[in-house]
Amino acid sequence: MEIPRLSRRRFLGLTAAAGVAAVLGVPLLKKGASLAQERPKARYALIIDTTKCTGCGACIEACRLRNHLPEGVSYIHRIVKGNHRNPWFLMIQCQHCANPPCATVCPTNATYRREDGVVLLDERLCVGCKYCMQACPYQARVYDEERGVADKCWLCLPWVLGGGLPACVEACIPGARLFGRADDPQSEVAQLIASGRAKPLHPEFGTDPSILFYVIEEE
Amino acid sequence: MQTAWGWLPAIYLFLGGMGAGALLVAAAFEFYGKRYQYEFCPTALVGATVPGPLVILGTILLIFDLGAGLREPWRIFYMFTHFSSVMTWGVWLLTLFIPVSLIYGFLEILDAFPAARQWLRTRRWLRWTAFLWNLPLRRTKRVFAGIGSVLAVGVAIYTGILLSAVGPAIPFWSTRVLPFIPIPMMPVLFLVSALSTGLVLTVDLAATLAIGPMEQRVKSLPWIHMAFIGVKTLLLGMLLITALVNGGSAAQSAREIIAGTHAVVFWVLIVLPGFIFPFVVHAYAAGLGRHSLVFGVGSGVGIVVAGLFLRYLILVSGIPAAL
Repeated sequence: MEIPRLSRRRFLGLTAAAGVAAVLGVPLLKKGASLAQERPKARYALIIDTTKCTGCGACIEACRLRNHLPEGVSYIHRIVKGNHRNPWFLMIQCQHCANPPCATVCPTNATYRREDGVVLLDERLCVGCKYCMQACPYQARVYDEERGVADKCWLCLPWVLGGGLPACVEACIPGARLFGRADDPQSEVAQLIASGRAKPLHPEFGTDPSILFYVIEEE
Repeated sequence: MQTAWGWLPAIYLFLGGMGAGALLVAAAFEFYGKRYQYEFCPTALVGATVPGPLVILGTILLIFDLGAGLREPWRIFYMFTHFSSVMTWGVWLLTLFIPVSLIYGFLEILDAFPAARQWLRTRRWLRWTAFLWNLPLRRTKRVFAGIGSVLAVGVAIYTGILLSAVGPAIPFWSTRVLPFIPIPMMPVLFLVSALSTGLVLTVDLAATLAIGPMEQRVKSLPWIHMAFIGVKTLLLGMLLITALVNGGSAAQSAREIIAGTHAVVFWVLIVLPGFIFPFVVHAYAAGLGRHSLVFGVGSGVGIVVAGLFLRYLILVSGIPAAL
């Protein structure tokens, strides 16, 4: 008679533990779902005019210098398109997606999207698992060997909040980069986006890039 | 070609799969084995005891692949917190699977070796384990086998979902079973590979080495292996064809596998040892009812090696979507 009673108690204990886990788990799941649904509109826009971009890489170096990144590492990388007679350049950095896959797959919630649309990394939380690097369809995440975190463009947020510009915009020699307030319909960037000339890169990825837009001449 | 994940995650994916598969085989013996009830069974013993250490080893490899998490290990605890990430599911599954499989293995050792129970009983400093020999051993073991097999299916499947969850970033990893069926291929392929490597580890290697060629004891074993090889061939073929049909970087991945950078790994280290050689050996065994110990163990080793290189191949052949 001893044994069944013991096992029943054990069973009740297990049930109680499962119940506690469910009660604790459900709000967490709900929180994750609601975060994914609410997508406040991005406040900023950065437009890169590929018809002006010469691919000189001044933005790459400026980004590296402002963010104190080691030699050869930058939040921006260059992709050469077209052919060798008529090349053009895609400067890729974090697209600050409204639906960022890197933040969805991040196991620690180190990558998150701010209310104003800027996607940031809380590097105190990052474990360096590199899952975000796999999940970003723009390959915009940069692994920092020194700190062991998957770093990213932060739109030079402190400068922008202080009324300044991102380093890449400041440094752009041909003036191919335009930065401004997307929430102000009078601004140049908002009008360019409204005109349909500036488009997000690869909308078919379903990530809804909300800050980076490209002006790309049809080939 | 993606470079963020290399050998360490590949070995982990393999060890996790093989451990999960081995535990599932042991649990099947636990629930359905008739002779196992009264006879010593090396398959169940290995299937219950080995998964814990295998998965622990794999998890250690994963931790070594971390960046900041390796230098500041307390950060690993943050990985339990973000449930939209498949990696968080995995961390939970591993955290639950490891203790359950260790306890299951421990109970299996107590059950298989009465001397172990005796030894525990006679040590004064182990007296706190007294509750163990008051428990109904077989029934407790069944409970852990049941929980363990649910978690094992989770461990085997989640490794595939982990890859397919990256979606459009690496199209090859999120290739569907067939273009019109919205089920990702990787979880299916990894589950079947996990079961087959687990079966090989427990039956073809452990049991054969312990009590002689298994083909003579289990008449259906060659057929089971041939069925597994058939299913794996079908799944791999569907994966490559679907990837080719999808075009883009998924098709590029498939071309690299079939006749490109990774062709040697695919044909020489996966298809030959894991498909052709064991199929011939088991077809021979099915026809004649027997084959030599060397060939039995050799084909088992081949399937295990192919399972390892399959995970590596899938990882390295993931090509990011073209921008």
